Amino acid sequence: MSDEGRIDGYARALFEVARAEGTLDEVEDELFRFARTYESNESLRETLTDEMVPAAMRQAVVEDLLGKATPTTVQLVSMVVGSGRGRDLPAIIDSLVQRASASKNLEVAEVRSAVPLTDDQQDRLKAALTNATGKQVNLKVVVDRSVLGGIVATVGDTVIDGSVRTRVDQLKSRL
Amino acid sequence: MKLVNAILIAAAEEPHRDDNGQIVTHHWLLPEESEIIYGTAASLIIFALLYKFAGPPIRKGLAARTERIQAELDASAAAVSDADTEAAEIRQAKGNIDEERERLLAAADEEAAALLTDGRARLEVELAELEARAAADLEAAAGRSGDELRSEMIRVAGASLEEVVADTLDDATQQELIESFISRVGAST
Repeated sequence: MSDEGRIDGYARALFEVARAEGTLDEVEDELFRFARTYESNESLRETLTDEMVPAAMRQAVVEDLLGKATPTTVQLVSMVVGSGRGRDLPAIIDSLVQRASASKNLEVAEVRSAVPLTDDQQDRLKAALTNATGKQVNLKVVVDRSVLGGIVATVGDTVIDGSVRTRVDQLKSRL
Repeated sequence: MKLVNAILIAAAEEPHRDDNGQIVTHHWLLPEESEIIYGTAASLIIFALLYKFAGPPIRKGLAARTERIQAELDASAAAVSDADTEAAEIRQAKGNIDEERERLLAAADEEAAALLTDGRARLEVELAELEARAAADLEAAAGRSGDELRSEMIRVAGASLEEVVADTLDDATQQELIESFISRVGAST
């Protein structure tokens, strides 16, 4: 089985478990946040993908990190990490989020902002993105300090970049 | 014969005696006549014997000594002659050595001069090469330094730019940027 097929298989399994548990929305949201944390934290990645670290210890790390998350989320991540697929965790979760959104006829809109967005801002941004793309979106907000300021929104293949980071990079390239 | 007679007469002469009957000399210094006669006769006999028996070996020994001294004198003269000859040879050899030394010194001087000339020429070539290489290195270093300086300035300017921008982005500005983005996206279709 190819990596893509295996990732898709894991995503489908996680999706079915979360849906069966009736906690798909919460689990999807928590997994998405965990995936972004995993991507931005090198030591966490190294710990969860180090095969020299016993699986039980890696699962204990997951349980510590996701202590306040729903039990389903903790169990799913723990299962993926324990099976030695920690390296594929972000791809599996992204695939799960895509699958969950598709099941609700939504398009995933990943929004990166330097500061957290209020609920009102998220609602208005969701409406704005729906208006701009013509698709109902499943908004996923990621607080990313590297953005510096503004927002970068990715809906499918469309990237709407209003970040200060991009402007600073453009200025640097002109230098 | 007269001598013998005189000796016999003297022997027959009565010795002098003192008042006590002891035999004494007739003079406190001079010997008795008989003593003179016997002594002289004995001396003559001794001399005669010496002349007869010891004379020839003594003369022979003296002749041998003279001959030996002459031989030694001749040997010394020959040694002096040999020494003179050797000295002459040494002087000649010394002259040859001096000539050889002069020749060697001249050859060494010539070789040294050639080496010096060759060394100077090679040194000049190497010096020219070093100067050319140093000039090229300096030029390259200057170019590299310029490039490095430019890169460093850009890097510092970029980092400074990022820091300045990050410092100016307070909460109000962040919110303004977010609201601006939402408005801009909402307005687009």
